[in-house]
Amino acid sequence: MRNPDQWSSLFWLLAGIGITLGSLKYGFGNLQAPGAGFITFFAGMILSLLAVVFFLSSLKRDEKLHKGVKILWEGLEVWKVIYVFFLLVAYALVLKPLGFLITTFGLLCLLLKVKAAYPLLKVILISLLVTTGAYLLFQVWLKVQLPRGILEGII
Amino acid sequence: MDIFDHIFFGFGVAFQPVNLLFCFTGVLIGTLVGVLPGLGPVAAISLLLPATFHAPPVGSIIMLSGIYYGAMYGGSTTSILINIPGEAASVVTCFDGYQMARKGRAGPALGMAAFASFIAGTLGVIGLAFLAPPLASIALKFGPPEYFSLMVLGLTVLTFLAGGSMLKSLMMACAGVVIGNVGLDLITAQPRFTFGLNILLDGVGLVPLVMGLFGISEVLLNVEQKLSEREVFKTALKGLLPTLKDWKESIGPLLRGSILGFFLGILPGGGAVISSFVSYGVEKRLSKHPEEFGKGAIAGVAGPESANNSATAGAFIPLLTLGLPSNAVMAILLGALMIYGMPPGPKLISSHPQLFWGVISSMYIGNMMLLILNLPLIGVWVKILKIPYPILFPLILLFCLIGAYSLNNNPAEIGLMLFFGLLGYLMKKFKFDGAPLVLAMVLGPLMDQSLRQSLLMSGGSGMIFFTRPICLVIFVIIALILLLPVLPLIGQMRKTMDEVKET
Repeated sequence: MRNPDQWSSLFWLLAGIGITLGSLKYGFGNLQAPGAGFITFFAGMILSLLAVVFFLSSLKRDEKLHKGVKILWEGLEVWKVIYVFFLLVAYALVLKPLGFLITTFGLLCLLLKVKAAYPLLKVILISLLVTTGAYLLFQVWLKVQLPRGILEGII
Repeated sequence: MDIFDHIFFGFGVAFQPVNLLFCFTGVLIGTLVGVLPGLGPVAAISLLLPATFHAPPVGSIIMLSGIYYGAMYGGSTTSILINIPGEAASVVTCFDGYQMARKGRAGPALGMAAFASFIAGTLGVIGLAFLAPPLASIALKFGPPEYFSLMVLGLTVLTFLAGGSMLKSLMMACAGVVIGNVGLDLITAQPRFTFGLNILLDGVGLVPLVMGLFGISEVLLNVEQKLSEREVFKTALKGLLPTLKDWKESIGPLLRGSILGFFLGILPGGGAVISSFVSYGVEKRLSKHPEEFGKGAIAGVAGPESANNSATAGAFIPLLTLGLPSNAVMAILLGALMIYGMPPGPKLISSHPQLFWGVISSMYIGNMMLLILNLPLIGVWVKILKIPYPILFPLILLFCLIGAYSLNNNPAEIGLMLFFGLLGYLMKKFKFDGAPLVLAMVLGPLMDQSLRQSLLMSGGSGMIFFTRPICLVIFVIIALILLLPVLPLIGQMRKTMDEVKET
């Protein structure tokens, strides 16, 4: 694989084939009585065809892109993306059991350290302020039912 | 009732104190997101959508619309002061606006941007009020085949006009159609592509999808960049009112930009970004001093700024009359209207006149609010620009997380949003545009329904799309659009053949 377009076309080709086969499982029906998979079958087919055309057209313009997909992340702090994404997934997982206040405070403390080296006290203060502000805005004012988690019964 | 009675009725709705408050909140938030680079109107509207579910529908749409056109105002401020467009439609304003600021004319540039936006926004609203009702009455004659053809046309035009490769846009449109059809089939109640997940039975939610594709992905892209200091224009701002000479140079571009922007806004995929670029190109070509463009010509600010504002009004026409969104923001508004139980389409004007006329009139009031807000508050916006990104991005992420969770009080919605966030991040990395995907995702179920209804109507004959005059015309247009990129190739081939024959 010599350039990013070839990787992406391959991804969409596989997705297109999967969609087409999946649609057949749901039932294509016939023209008189189209089934549940009718439109997705055509969408999957067209997606696969376009992906093949895209792959072939990408073969012609590889002169500047010999580095494969690496070129897309060159000189960038990609580990920060992985770290932030991991934090967000963890937030989704522990939000219900730990509750909004604790989880949000923890998340903000960690996120504030990602792009700057703020002193710990500043990080804690900002996190506390934002968490309280968000709680007041969403839970108290907008009546969103935020999870209380282990603080159930206390707040 | 004639059109003026309707407009007066609309003002009655828009002037209700609660709607004035919604309008004010919308334009204020819109200006704020326009000012802040990295957070556009699509992301802002998606973030705030869940918060409006408990509010009155008319007020909510007034607010969400306010965010859209307010962002166009705000975007010019960052373009002029720091040479960074607050949102995509303000890219062109950087060319001459920033050069004016460097020459000590930041005030008149900001002032002209605000006046041009106000005048164009107002003209756009008037155009909307006069054009939408007749179009809606024509659309009443449309059946499922006409709707299906129109949706295919919409997606084709969008992929044609979208930035980057047309092939990539078409692929995104196909993926969007599939995503839009995830969940229970409306006719057979069979689950499609749900992978056994209960959260997908009702389909992929619009809010987690757009927040992921536009909000989370944007933050992830910014997080990996090395931080650079934003240099905010330091000279004191004075003399915001443009001079008579400035007005003389700007009035033509301003009026031309308004008309151009309005009609380009109606086209699917046209929108504010393309309008501003086209207006700049037209003004440069028409100008007696084209060499001044890019060096601080005020016409280069007035034209694009008026075009991107009137385009926002034009974009409402297909949404409110046909129920077809022309860009990602309109797709979100379509989703919102459906959630509020007011499906847009030709019947919207007669069945919910308070919504249609109220929103149009509120746009006029909103434009006035923006003019009053923007000029004296420029100092405040400049201060907001100084909020460091390391503090700003956790706040954006938190809004996304709470917004997704509050949809159904379910952390799985956050999971769904994060999935689309990652997909959006990779799509941006690999240069795939998210707008066709969102538009097709919203249109997907409607396309499925109208296609199946059309085939049932015709007893399974696809000829129904070619025997009905409106469908035929639409499909001829689609064919022409798809052939357009191939035409130069044909020309080139003929030229080569002639050359071969001659030798």
